[in-house]
Amino acid sequence: MKRSKRIETLDKRPVNLDGFINEWPEMGFAAMSSPYDPTPSVTVREGQIVELDGKKREEFDFIDQFIADYAINIDKAAESMAMPSLEIARMIVDIHVSRREILDIVSGITPAKMTEVMNHLNVVELMMGMQKIRARKAPGNQAHITNLKDDPVQIAADAAEGALRGFAEEETTMGVARYAPLSAMALLIGSQVGRPGVLTQCSAEEATELELGIRGLTTYAETLSVYGTEKVFIDGDDTPYSKAFLNSAYASRGLKVRFTSGSGSEVLMGNSEKCSMLYLECRCLYATKGAGSQGIQNGSVSCIGVPGSVPGGIREVMSENLVAALLGLECASSNDQSFSNSDMRRTARTMLQFLPGTDFIFSGYAAEPNYDNMFAGSNFDAEDFDDYNVLQRDMQVDGGLRPVTEEEVIRVRNKAAKAVQAVFRQLGLSPVTDEQVEAVTYAHGSKDTLPRDVTADLLAAEDVLKRGITGVDVVKALAESGFRDVAESVLNMLKQRVAGDYMQTSAILDKDFHVLSGVNTPNDYMGPGTGYRVEGKRWEEIKQIPHIINPKEL
Amino acid sequence: MQINEELVTQITHAILAQMGQDAEPSSKPVPSMAGHSRINDEKTSYAGYPKAKQGTDPKEVVIGVGAAFQREIKKTICGIPLDDVLKNIKAGIEEEGMVARVVKVLDTSDVCFMALEAAKLSGSGFGIGIQSKGTTVIHQKDLYPLSNLELFPQAPLMTLETYRKIGQNAAKYVKGEQVVPIPCENDPMCRPKFQVKAALMHIAETEQLDPELGIIEWEEE
Repeated sequence: MKRSKRIETLDKRPVNLDGFINEWPEMGFAAMSSPYDPTPSVTVREGQIVELDGKKREEFDFIDQFIADYAINIDKAAESMAMPSLEIARMIVDIHVSRREILDIVSGITPAKMTEVMNHLNVVELMMGMQKIRARKAPGNQAHITNLKDDPVQIAADAAEGALRGFAEEETTMGVARYAPLSAMALLIGSQVGRPGVLTQCSAEEATELELGIRGLTTYAETLSVYGTEKVFIDGDDTPYSKAFLNSAYASRGLKVRFTSGSGSEVLMGNSEKCSMLYLECRCLYATKGAGSQGIQNGSVSCIGVPGSVPGGIREVMSENLVAALLGLECASSNDQSFSNSDMRRTARTMLQFLPGTDFIFSGYAAEPNYDNMFAGSNFDAEDFDDYNVLQRDMQVDGGLRPVTEEEVIRVRNKAAKAVQAVFRQLGLSPVTDEQVEAVTYAHGSKDTLPRDVTADLLAAEDVLKRGITGVDVVKALAESGFRDVAESVLNMLKQRVAGDYMQTSAILDKDFHVLSGVNTPNDYMGPGTGYRVEGKRWEEIKQIPHIINPKEL
Repeated sequence: MQINEELVTQITHAILAQMGQDAEPSSKPVPSMAGHSRINDEKTSYAGYPKAKQGTDPKEVVIGVGAAFQREIKKTICGIPLDDVLKNIKAGIEEEGMVARVVKVLDTSDVCFMALEAAKLSGSGFGIGIQSKGTTVIHQKDLYPLSNLELFPQAPLMTLETYRKIGQNAAKYVKGEQVVPIPCENDPMCRPKFQVKAALMHIAETEQLDPELGIIEWEEE
């Protein structure tokens, strides 16, 4: 066939490198609904749910049973289930119906009913819903802080810069898992240099992650994964009950924690039970609520290539974020994984969370170049910082970040690198040279830094665990090496665990360590003139992007 | 992969598009797979294969391969023949003076558990798990399942040289040496290009599981 030059040009566009597939419900490739999704129903007898979404109690799998016993408000069930799904959907976008009233109604509906409600909402309505239903009044943002070398000095510098740029939470992970104790420690120190009060976590194998938290080397946890089918849960060596237990383990030590789920994981693991991605994700979210977690990271997350490949997939991703909010959960709304070869497509996908605002729009944003992102690439990275700041300014939207100056960036990166150097010296860990500090200060990514002695680092990491080094040891080391202000901040972060206020839904800390959560700063949006507005000092800050034309210099 | 024609067309289009190669220009719509509940209609039976033995040789590294390995799936996600993958891992182990044994894991397709089960069967306590799409983990029997010694999550970036080094490193762990982990590779565009293919390959692997049989001894064909 003689080829059209137009079509040939289009064929070469980046979007055509993305993977697309037809709907295939038998294998779970169906976003919003599947012909195999159950019909909503519930029967309550003697204070117990004996039938849920077409299944009798004796046919329940452990997810059904967990949801029936812990995630549905039995007192509201009959009344809420009797309401047409369309009416509930309309109330979600009706500015005259408050968040509180809606949460009360949906507390009595089942996962299949929730799926049905979402199917009545288009993407603009989903965004209107999120603007009202999000737990915390002001939106927030979270960063990924990682690098290809697992270099703790770079982690500290990137954490400091990320905190300066406005991220309220920072998450790290490793290429080599055994680096975890050093990564967690560097992130904790660096974050507090950039802006006191930033929360940090280290995504690792669950037992390691818990241990780092208990020792005070992290200040929250996120990687408690739940799944929408029993088989996938079992493959992960887990049940909703074991997750609830792990959740309590964190709570007992005063640590903030959220769960993780997201559509597509059941498809990727080959066990979707023919159901739609949205219905399975609803089951995850109900299990999360039932386990008593204050929040969730969801929105397909690392499986975004799966919903991204089918029709309506990105609408589904926004639907799952809204379902999380409707269940009263803090929602860290993904956008955290490379999703498309097309800049246009990846930006459009993020607008669904960026425009209405979520508790954490990204979970997280790569605050390093994507080649250093050890979560296999985020949807936005350090090279997009200025684009993102301009988007905030163009639309007068608070995306959680702020413009910074080069001087400030260099200053906090250098201080964080030096603080880690001092702490490692003080604690007798692997050495950090002045040349490394210098390289990291001015670096964009790990291609600009010096190599680390990996063997020495891994021995030091092991040593941190063996010697029982805790957050208090880090505070002491900082104070004894002249970093008193950073020591104070790290100590203040440790004190949060005694107070426990930051375990409330959607909590973050301001620079004075005051908690801002869905409880003390609840979202009170009820239409124009209400809720969070970008104004005053925050609006002035957003305006100050670099490269503004000076009329006097024309 | 032994697969029906509709799926071949569908995968070919999805994959060629993902890899940036031009599919045959065609305005014909890709046929729907709706109604099909397997990728391969036939399931291979391993009844009669010897159950994998508990190893006793302290020099042994056990390699646990996926259920569809070298049968329904013959190449990794980026097209490396699985015969060559196995050859290189074994060569790496042997170069370090250790002994390789290959088993096929039929009770799980989760690479961490595959690697851990291989490690538990291994006389040395060290094992390697490889999914048919190429994802690989080095594990040790006393570690938590989802922990590991080394993990290579981005299968599209793997080369035969990496597989050889994986064999060498696994053998070095057996010898108790201070092992420098193989440097990580990272391509943020792997996911948009390969995730759907990864899902399909994993489905093809998972549908071949036979948990009743557990783990069997697996020699190269």
